[in-house]
Amino acid sequence: MMSRTEEDFELELRSLPGVLNVGITKHSNGNVNVVTLVANSKDPLATRSAATQIASLYYPEAAVVVEDANRTLNDARGEGPRVALIRADYDTTDGFCEVQLSVDGRTGIGRAGSGPLIGGAEATLAALRDLGYDVPYSLMTVTNVTNGRDWPVIVTLRSLANDADRFGIARSEDDLVSAVKATLDSLNRFLSTLEQRGL
Amino acid sequence: MRDDSDEDSEATATLTSIRVGDGPGFSGEAYEPWLFQTMLNELSERELGVGFIYSILDLFANRHQLTDVAVVLVNEGFGTQMFRLGGEAVTTDMAAHLNASPGVYCEPDTVPAAECDAVRTACQLALSLHLARFSAAHDPLTNISNRRSFDEALEVAAARSARYGWAFTLVLVDLNSFKAVNDKFGHEFGDHLLRQFGFALRQAVRQGDTAARVGGDEFAVILSNAEGHESSGFTERLKGHLVALGNAIEFTTGTATSPRDSTDPSELLRMADARLYEKKGIRIA
Repeated sequence: MMSRTEEDFELELRSLPGVLNVGITKHSNGNVNVVTLVANSKDPLATRSAATQIASLYYPEAAVVVEDANRTLNDARGEGPRVALIRADYDTTDGFCEVQLSVDGRTGIGRAGSGPLIGGAEATLAALRDLGYDVPYSLMTVTNVTNGRDWPVIVTLRSLANDADRFGIARSEDDLVSAVKATLDSLNRFLSTLEQRGL
Repeated sequence: MRDDSDEDSEATATLTSIRVGDGPGFSGEAYEPWLFQTMLNELSERELGVGFIYSILDLFANRHQLTDVAVVLVNEGFGTQMFRLGGEAVTTDMAAHLNASPGVYCEPDTVPAAECDAVRTACQLALSLHLARFSAAHDPLTNISNRRSFDEALEVAAARSARYGWAFTLVLVDLNSFKAVNDKFGHEFGDHLLRQFGFALRQAVRQGDTAARVGGDEFAVILSNAEGHESSGFTERLKGHLVALGNAIEFTTGTATSPRDSTDPSELLRMADARLYEKKGIRIA
């Protein structure tokens, strides 16, 4: 049974302009983990910003994802649902990376026991598999172009079927997020093809 | 695809393509004892709201062994709203299909349209009641409590304080020079500032405290289990949250503590107000 607080939280989110649906995912400990909004909004960024503010009042740890209901129309023009990064954490105590991704209202979590660069890429592949994608690639290299901030990370994946490599590049606020985004970048076209084929 | 006019087609399509029970509304023929009983049970425990919609969808799915069910409602305050079994998000693909019209969408499609109609009507009622209850108690601009619910909260706090000696501090907050800001930058900007202030206020209060907008640029807070001197912590938190939002507006506070100052709500309000204006007077002087 939902508490009054949970009910009011959902009602507040639903009162945002253009919001059609609210999905709330909880951790096994009962804490709200991800809040997914499906919105028919003219300004999805503004909707996400307002929803994040509301969520921060009720559940500060929750990630907020806004799915664009209009995107289905775009899908027909060849743009598949996009995989979005919800969070990427590196636990310095146990040396594990955890990455959570979202696509089309679903979320997947992947963990890997390496540093932010390799761990970030491996955890991303695991999260994609958790989302149900069959990703026939193995991680070859993860390279930080230089040991400084604001420099890109390059990820190389090798196909399990042949030796065709895929490359992805991303620059973000830290190595972990860069590694995740570079991994997604390398698989971008492959994932779109899967979505179009309904896999 | 199946709808009211096509009830015999095969139930092989997915949830996104099935629509049942989008008729004009609840009728005598659509009376459903299980639904009526559920509503009575729910009403005896709490008020109908969003949670009730999920309870109904859960019962409905169990009753008809549905693997998925969603209800689409159209509400005056909200526009189109979709609710899915288990509080799950609908996919964007579903949203595009469900957006067509209000109704109950079932997978598999095995439920009589009349029962779907009854479920939809009950869900519509629950959403309307929740919205009405929320609107009656909250300020629409800031989403914090309004004057009416604040007065009720103050009455309750004061009565407990008088009876059990539980301390609380009433803080009145007045924005400085807000009228000048409004006049100079326009009401739209003024509303933006008020929304930000309301948000900062919500961040600054603790669980169990009450924050309310009690006038145009006047706010009030009930700090539970707090003596007067503890209100400085709240004020600092509020300033910090305003800075984080990039909101430079300044404010003045006046406080009164129960039971030390009084246990009468009107007297507490009068004292806090007098102290607030005393501070403003000092500031002006």
